Amino acid sequence: MHFEYHEPTSVREAVELGARFGADGRFLAGGTDLLIQMRRGQLRPRHVVSLHRVPGLDAIDVDGAVTLGALVTHRRLEREPSFRGALQALIEGAEVVGGHQIRNVATVGGNIVNASPAADVAPVLLALDAEVTCLGPGGERSLPLEAFASAPGVTARRPDELLTRARFARLPPHSATAFLKAGRRRAMEISLVCVAARVTLDASRERCLDVRIVLGAVAPTAMRARAAELGLRGQPLTAQALREAGRAAAGECRPISDVRASARYRALLVATLVERALARCGERIRQAA
Amino acid sequence: MGKLALSLTINGESHDVLVEPHRTLLDVLRTDLGLTGTKENCLDAECGVCTLLLDGMAVNACIVLAVQCRDRTVVTIEGLAVGAELHPLQRAFIDAGAVQCGYCIPGMILAARAYLDENPTPSEAEVREALAGNLCRCTGYQKIVDAVMRAAGAPAAAR
Amino acid sequence: MTATRIVGRSLPRMDAPGKVTGTAIYAADFALPGMLHGRVLRSRDPHGRLVQIDASRAARVRGVRAVLTAADVADVRYGGSVKDEEVFARDRVRFAGQPLAAVAATSPEAAAEALAAIEVAVEPLPPIVDVTDALAAGAPLVHEGWASYAALPILHRDGNVCNRARIVVGDVERGFEEADRIFEHRFVTRSVHQGYTEPRAAVAQWDSAGQVTVWSNTQLPFEIQSTLSEILQVPVSKVRVVVPGVGGGFGGKLRVGVEHFAALLARKTGRAVKVMTTSEEELTAAYARQPAIVELKTGVTTDGRLLAREGRLWFDTGAFAGSGPGVASVATLMLAGPYRIPHLLLEGYAVYTNKTNFGSFRAPSGPQANFAVESQMDIIADALHLDPLDFRLRNIVREGEEGPTGQVLTAVGLEECLRKVADAIGWKDRRPAPGRGKGIACGWWTTTGGSSGVYVKINPDGTVALNTGAAEIGTAALTGAAQVLAEDLGVELADINVVSADTLSTPFDFGAQGSRTAFAVGNACRAAVADLKRQVIALGARQLGVDESALELRDGAVVAPAEGKRATLAELARISQASGGGLIAHGTFVAPPTPYDAKRVEGHVYPVFHSPSFHAHAVDLSVDADTGEVTIHRYVVAQDVGFAMNPTYIEGQIEGGVAQGLGQALSEEIVYDAGRVLNANLTDYKMPTAVDVPRIESILVQHPSLVGPFGAKGVGEPPNIEPPAAVANAVASATGVRITSLPITAEKVALALRERER
Repeated sequence: MHFEYHEPTSVREAVELGARFGADGRFLAGGTDLLIQMRRGQLRPRHVVSLHRVPGLDAIDVDGAVTLGALVTHRRLEREPSFRGALQALIEGAEVVGGHQIRNVATVGGNIVNASPAADVAPVLLALDAEVTCLGPGGERSLPLEAFASAPGVTARRPDELLTRARFARLPPHSATAFLKAGRRRAMEISLVCVAARVTLDASRERCLDVRIVLGAVAPTAMRARAAELGLRGQPLTAQALREAGRAAAGECRPISDVRASARYRALLVATLVERALARCGERIRQAA
Repeated sequence: MGKLALSLTINGESHDVLVEPHRTLLDVLRTDLGLTGTKENCLDAECGVCTLLLDGMAVNACIVLAVQCRDRTVVTIEGLAVGAELHPLQRAFIDAGAVQCGYCIPGMILAARAYLDENPTPSEAEVREALAGNLCRCTGYQKIVDAVMRAAGAPAAAR
Repeated sequence: MTATRIVGRSLPRMDAPGKVTGTAIYAADFALPGMLHGRVLRSRDPHGRLVQIDASRAARVRGVRAVLTAADVADVRYGGSVKDEEVFARDRVRFAGQPLAAVAATSPEAAAEALAAIEVAVEPLPPIVDVTDALAAGAPLVHEGWASYAALPILHRDGNVCNRARIVVGDVERGFEEADRIFEHRFVTRSVHQGYTEPRAAVAQWDSAGQVTVWSNTQLPFEIQSTLSEILQVPVSKVRVVVPGVGGGFGGKLRVGVEHFAALLARKTGRAVKVMTTSEEELTAAYARQPAIVELKTGVTTDGRLLAREGRLWFDTGAFAGSGPGVASVATLMLAGPYRIPHLLLEGYAVYTNKTNFGSFRAPSGPQANFAVESQMDIIADALHLDPLDFRLRNIVREGEEGPTGQVLTAVGLEECLRKVADAIGWKDRRPAPGRGKGIACGWWTTTGGSSGVYVKINPDGTVALNTGAAEIGTAALTGAAQVLAEDLGVELADINVVSADTLSTPFDFGAQGSRTAFAVGNACRAAVADLKRQVIALGARQLGVDESALELRDGAVVAPAEGKRATLAELARISQASGGGLIAHGTFVAPPTPYDAKRVEGHVYPVFHSPSFHAHAVDLSVDADTGEVTIHRYVVAQDVGFAMNPTYIEGQIEGGVAQGLGQALSEEIVYDAGRVLNANLTDYKMPTAVDVPRIESILVQHPSLVGPFGAKGVGEPPNIEPPAAVANAVASATGVRITSLPITAEKVALALRERER
């Protein structure tokens, strides 16, 4: 685990270092994944570029669209007052990651770049149709989060790019989000399955105008349950419809069996958690009214 | 790469150390500075025995590089008591019978300290949630939670 | 009972201030100047021929000071019951995790680099992955030379079976003929790790006189001393084992684990060497609990009397016997349960496989056997339409009755425990809501025997030094023993200082194991005080010019109330130091033998439970019908502790033991696939967190034992026994689904509920 250590103090300097080291370098944010992988010898970067002195990447901006700086920590997310209400899923996704010690340092950017199929916050951002922005020597580019991760640990970020922020539009009226996860314990868990849902109802709050259902830990990347979404669009949110959405999502997920759970149980959890997350969205919209 | 000279502020005292960049704060505290109150176990940020305060925040020292702590303040369990006067949390842990083998206790106390700074009047459920990153195998957590609740009941000034 | 001043009170433990301020030094913290870092290379293959091991490249790694393989150490086999263990694999590897080599280097990184540079060639052989494999007809032998190994003569060994312990009472076949109903079930449990937060650690250093000192977090310094003497081929007197603080043990720190590597590397390098385990080593190559298969056949009358039981429990002991033969013996007593059953045929097997050498974990065999016995009790009660509590009350052992091997049971508080937990949990309303149910389980356990010695010295300021060979592993047992000492000697707890666990200077102790420490050390203290009393009263009588019979010892002084004369312990200690070498006593204790019927047992290394304890647990929980997730609402324990020496720390034992037991019940398992561990890290080995463990309600029942200090019984292990059974019974009560394997994961429950729907 020998490397050279760098401590840029501006985004520009960080990007320059990133460009200089390319695949030999790694950006270090919270370190909750990187340093563990390095200690285990799974990663051996020759340069580590710590971002903790880089200003301007740790802001939550809720004017207009919502922007989350890459260095926003999970603890910040879970305590952000403006997320209470329609964006509750962001709080729910953040507050179930590790313990306080982890959430105090683990960042939104790290969660996205690490591209773990079992990540908890990334599915919520997917459900919010977030886009992410990378900054490299060639300048800035934004792309949909859905197009960002392609396999566990594999993303569209180039080695010389720094992920700087995630951004999503504010939700229309009569919208709500919910996040649920299943694990063997109630804390310190990697999701067996997690589900993020977003529902927008029509003005009469009866029919579903728009819906996103995102599943975590049941495919190589977090995935949208498109068939389930399609089935709900334009429909009233009845118990029957929710159950069918759960069943549809279970049908389209692609879980594996591993030491944490069997594929069969994961599919079963998808059905239940999707149904419950959608129901929760419905309740939240009604309560907000 | 060679060693880096850096000054660390730990429990209000500055320490000059010469370390390679890969050395963790946990390792430097325990090996170079003899501050073994911060405990070592899993090194994967799963058990919480190495919890300390970095700029007032509870963190796992096993995943913090020492070089990242330049110009920041570190508080370890050794820095909690004022002379012979125990911190109210330390007192409460003794009085509630929360200490058994004791290996998780420094991390527990510091995680609790960080949380009480943020929420001085927590519920039992909130305390349990705040301590979820600290494994204890002796106590079943009950008397630890009792101790934190007891300390939270202590006068705010003492905290 | 007469009122007590110190013992019986919830006084703070003596070592607490050091532990809350971070000044207490544990073995993992221990360091010496210039110390090297030792690491162990472990086999990746579960089974194979070790063709070659080449450490030449490793030896050239910068900073490396020594590399050891089997070629560098004496060819000795060691082990407690069967001498089948070796320091490094010599020509055959028997489990993934078995040590192949060890290195010492100036930094942990250099040591790790050296490990990676050792070239190992193993010709893989098909592994024996479990007991079924090992017992199959024509199965290869894990130890082809098993018959040549030295072993306790009492063991019944045969090929892959390194012990078969048996209890035979009455005629089990006749019992089944007389029975109205016969129930047969099979239960399976997985391995679980003790989960101590402090890794196993040792620092070793040799001196110029050829003595090695090992600072280790062992629970058994004297056992480590004798094992090291065998491995190092030096006399016992050349091995000194010192125990600094111990960060939890729970039975996992009984046997040599890192000490021998530290000592061998230190001898080779002439430097102090520290060896500490990683989480991966803990989960692949430590002394975790044995996986078990249990088959129970029980015959009953329709009115709910137990008539006969045939029970077999097979432990996977792994590649070496270790604790297995003894634990298999204890298992037979646990298979009988705390019940009156006239006809018994009970067998416990320890079976070799290609896994780590499983060991002793808090009440070894208890949870596995109790899970089977107490699950089946509920199944039978349901089948007979009896209330599970009534069914138990009809069959439990009572005062003066016989245990399975004929020991006469005294101080039997079981009925009181059962009734109290049932009342507390609200047993009459067993299924308060859909998906919610209550479960009960009960059991018995031993207070392990073995001897303890203490030296007690009165200092010239009147304070007292308690010098014991037992280690404080976190239970507060030595605080309990010191309370006994303070009580008897008429001093305050604060007057006592404890010196412990140094094989060179402290008297022998059988060790911090088997719920015996406070019990045995406390009794040794009582013996020492009896001697000291004689000394101070004789000296006091001479000093005060009164008759010995006029003197009594109280409040730190000998007093002649009638004469109004008094001499403090401090004065007497000073006088004694000037004239007679000081006031010191050697107190010893060994549990008196418990008579039993030797004709009933075979292959048995643990035929009776000394000063047995009795206990009952009750749990109220809900099951999520869709996800299978279990939520515990309440958990109540009633434990007959004989006499509560320090109620706070007894509650602490109960709360911690239940938490650990709930881990085994619901979430923990070391998962093997073809002999390899799949979850060798704390991310996937699931110990309960503060939000997983419910508040645990303790009821201390006190039926004083005849032997323990002030009537105490062993308390540390029992709380770990019943949680799996209590949870299984409550889950069955809540859902109607009976899970017969541990852990009872949400997945198992959910899938079982789905199966039932079909």
